[in-house]
Amino acid sequence: MNNPPKLARKILEWFAGAAFVEDLLGDLDELFFIHLKTKSTIVAKLLYWRGVLSLLFSYALKKRKEKATASPYSNTISLGLLQNYFKVAVRSLYQHKYFSILNAFGLAVGMSVSLLLLSLISYVQTYDDFHTNRENIYTIISERTEGVEQASWASAPHVLTDKLKENPGVKEVVQINSAFREEVKLPQGLIPLRGYYVEPNFLEVFTYEITQGNARLALSQPQHIIITESAARKIFNSTNVLGKVLELANGDLMEVGAVMKDHPINSHFSFELLVSFASLPPAQTSLSDQWMHFDFQYVYVLLRDRPTITEFQTYLDKISAENYKDLPVKVAFEAQHLNDIALGPDLRRAIGPKWEASGIIVFAIIAAMILLPACFNYTNISIARALKRAKEIGLRKTLGGVRHQIFFQFITETVVITFVAFLGALLLFYFTRSEFQKMLVASNALDLSLTVRMATYFLLFALGTGLIAGLFPALFFGRLNPIQALKNKAHKGASAMRVRKVLTVFQFVLSFGFILTLVVFSKQYRYSLNFNFGFTKENIVNVTLQGTQAQQVKNEFSKLASVQAMAMSSQVMGLGYNNTWIKDLAGDSTEVAQMFVDGNYIPLFGLTLLAGTNFPEETATTEKFIIVNEEFVKSDGVAVADAIGKTYRVEDQDLQVIGVVKNFHFAPLRYPIKKFFFRSNPAKFSYAHLKVNTADAYAMFTDFESQWKKLNPEQKLVASFFEDDLNEGYSNYVVLLKITGFLGLLALTISALGLLGMVVYTTETKVKEIGIRKVFGASVLNLNFQLSKEYLKLIVWAVGIGAPVTAYLIYLVLPRIQYYSTTVSVWDVVISTTILLGLGMLTVWSQTNRAALSNPADTLRSE
Amino acid sequence: MKTYLGELEELVLLTIAALGKEAYGVSIQQDLEARCNRSISIGALHSTITRLEEKGFLKSWLGGATQERGGRSKRFYEITQAGKKAVAEAKSVRDELWSLSSIKLSVK
Repeated sequence: MNNPPKLARKILEWFAGAAFVEDLLGDLDELFFIHLKTKSTIVAKLLYWRGVLSLLFSYALKKRKEKATASPYSNTISLGLLQNYFKVAVRSLYQHKYFSILNAFGLAVGMSVSLLLLSLISYVQTYDDFHTNRENIYTIISERTEGVEQASWASAPHVLTDKLKENPGVKEVVQINSAFREEVKLPQGLIPLRGYYVEPNFLEVFTYEITQGNARLALSQPQHIIITESAARKIFNSTNVLGKVLELANGDLMEVGAVMKDHPINSHFSFELLVSFASLPPAQTSLSDQWMHFDFQYVYVLLRDRPTITEFQTYLDKISAENYKDLPVKVAFEAQHLNDIALGPDLRRAIGPKWEASGIIVFAIIAAMILLPACFNYTNISIARALKRAKEIGLRKTLGGVRHQIFFQFITETVVITFVAFLGALLLFYFTRSEFQKMLVASNALDLSLTVRMATYFLLFALGTGLIAGLFPALFFGRLNPIQALKNKAHKGASAMRVRKVLTVFQFVLSFGFILTLVVFSKQYRYSLNFNFGFTKENIVNVTLQGTQAQQVKNEFSKLASVQAMAMSSQVMGLGYNNTWIKDLAGDSTEVAQMFVDGNYIPLFGLTLLAGTNFPEETATTEKFIIVNEEFVKSDGVAVADAIGKTYRVEDQDLQVIGVVKNFHFAPLRYPIKKFFFRSNPAKFSYAHLKVNTADAYAMFTDFESQWKKLNPEQKLVASFFEDDLNEGYSNYVVLLKITGFLGLLALTISALGLLGMVVYTTETKVKEIGIRKVFGASVLNLNFQLSKEYLKLIVWAVGIGAPVTAYLIYLVLPRIQYYSTTVSVWDVVISTTILLGLGMLTVWSQTNRAALSNPADTLRSE
Repeated sequence: MKTYLGELEELVLLTIAALGKEAYGVSIQQDLEARCNRSISIGALHSTITRLEEKGFLKSWLGGATQERGGRSKRFYEITQAGKKAVAEAKSVRDELWSLSSIKLSVK
């Protein structure tokens, strides 16, 4: 009890750092014992504390600390020391060229994916930075709840506008409708145009450069537009288009009231035209409907002052509470800042290019899964080589190097090599950049050329990677005991061995995962292409009618010798479908997928009728019949034969079932087979399906073209083989395969490099052992096995862990991608294991074999 | 006057001179308290000593290990030639002022 307070002493020692305070502590102790003689323990302790406090802020301690920093036990790193570390790092890396190249290459590969991610993020962060009012612009997003279904929408009802204008904090409210998607009639055909309907104040809130005309006037008159320069060039071949008139395919005329410069691509808006809001037909629906349905409607506000945002949000909550009181749909509004739109939460119906946070997170996880193994490699190889470096470190420590100095020396070394690797990663980045950009959905709103911001991110990232990769080895070396190190006993670290093994197994688990995914995805792709859809897909050509009369097409094309039969329909089977609602006699309504066909359709596509008959040959102008699928009958719980003759109410008509067709995949394999029926309304036809029989496809298509010219000289023939269309629908697998293939290659390269480093190192240290074994009669094969069995074990472990984990993940993911999907079989695992083992063993044996073949006389001669 | 010597500095310097070979932190503090009735914190004392060292009036050395203070060594101080000169100068200034002043030293 009668000892000076420990905590006070610790605080003083900690505060003093490297400064010499032994005499001061001694004085404090002595005073404490003097005080104890006359005063109570508590008072003595308090006096000790007071003494410590007086010292902490004293001039004496301050001076001692200043002096201490100049001593060799300094806590700070001087520039000179850093220079020295750098020099030592470069020399050491140069001396161990082989390992340095291995490390740098591995890190470069690992960093390349992250660079893609960083470049994407750095560009997306510049979105909408050209608007001068950007600090105070918000958009209104909606959280829509209907029954149990809940979804976040980027749009908001326009009826909100008047309510918002009542708020004193709001300076401007801009309504935008993104539904303008029309085609312009030109001599060379129809040209599609995308645009927004906007109010005149759009250009006051958002910053765009008008080159000609009066923009405000243009936006306040109906049938007037502002055109971007690129759209003007596309349509008129000139930017001098003020006052010209566009004729739309629907017959409307639009006058160009102003011309603007193309907006920068880093914007969450994307348009070719701005159409005056007055051109938009007024809403015909009831007020309550306007509050509930707002698919293409967007509301932006310009606030007077940024701090008013919390008040504004409460105002929004109040509006939503008042207006959705009696409605079946509830909507909560939220103000989202302009800067958060492009890289924000997942929302439905974004107005333009948008980068969803969830996608970025998945990408970041993948990037980390590639980067971390590369860092592990460095860690692994560095620690494995501890024995060689141990003497150097032992000597440094004996000569007065302290732990943190050794630590910094190794961190510097890692950072140097990371920067070398970073250059390599940049090179890879340049090669993969365009391919990567092609894979992204909103790639035309992306520019991945190097900017200052991106370069800063890159450099910080390289530094961070260096620190992560170098942390463990640096700590390890810093803690090395100099006596043991000099005695060559540094390798006792069993824990370090275990860490290395765990890291290696982890890498191989990852590689195995990528290989297995690749194998299963390619199987899934083949599975989809060879799937039995339940209909014929060979020798059928689809021709898009493009508004031409179906009967005319039939007449002209059936003249050709190559055409054997012909059918009409509303859409291409197996690619998409649309739904309608039907009511049975009891009045229950259900959602059913539908398709409009003629009487030739079912035989042409080889569909089987289970009961009843096909549509009559000459389809009547009024609809009478439907042909339903098996699933339709089954879910209604009736026998196939009994279904015939039943009537259903479909869109205000009573239609009678005249046939039941065997189930077939009218929708892509992504969706399960649901209730479906064929209808026979010729007005809905937009495709002709031609059963053809020809050896010369080229000649056939030329014939088609000449027939088409007679029918519709203004438009080009759009025709293709059904099988190609169908396969095209599964081309997303090609992209998926490309991505997993690329990532798998990277992961495998990194693990192979890591393995190579380890093997090179161990065989190097075991050269003598090999020599002795050889002298005693070990064969090359025997030696190879001796040296590689350790690694074989690791790979087997990796397969043991990787196979169930990956198989389970694939089992979870595959049905989400596609309802009818293949499964992971034992064979897939065997194939993947063979690939992994093969590559792994090839790497190992390339080194062990060389060691095993070496002449023992050479290796044992020295010493 | 070359260097200014504060009142406390002068006292500390003289105390160190008076203590001779036994001048270290605690002894100086105790002596100041007993003789001059000045209670001074250890921090303030060491700060004054540091200033005097910087002015070159003191030199110091570390003593060996001790028994009574947790084995910690003491730092001993000794007045330098420059220090002696500084206190002498201070004294002569005061003597001169005393002789010129009209105060009679009749207290004794």
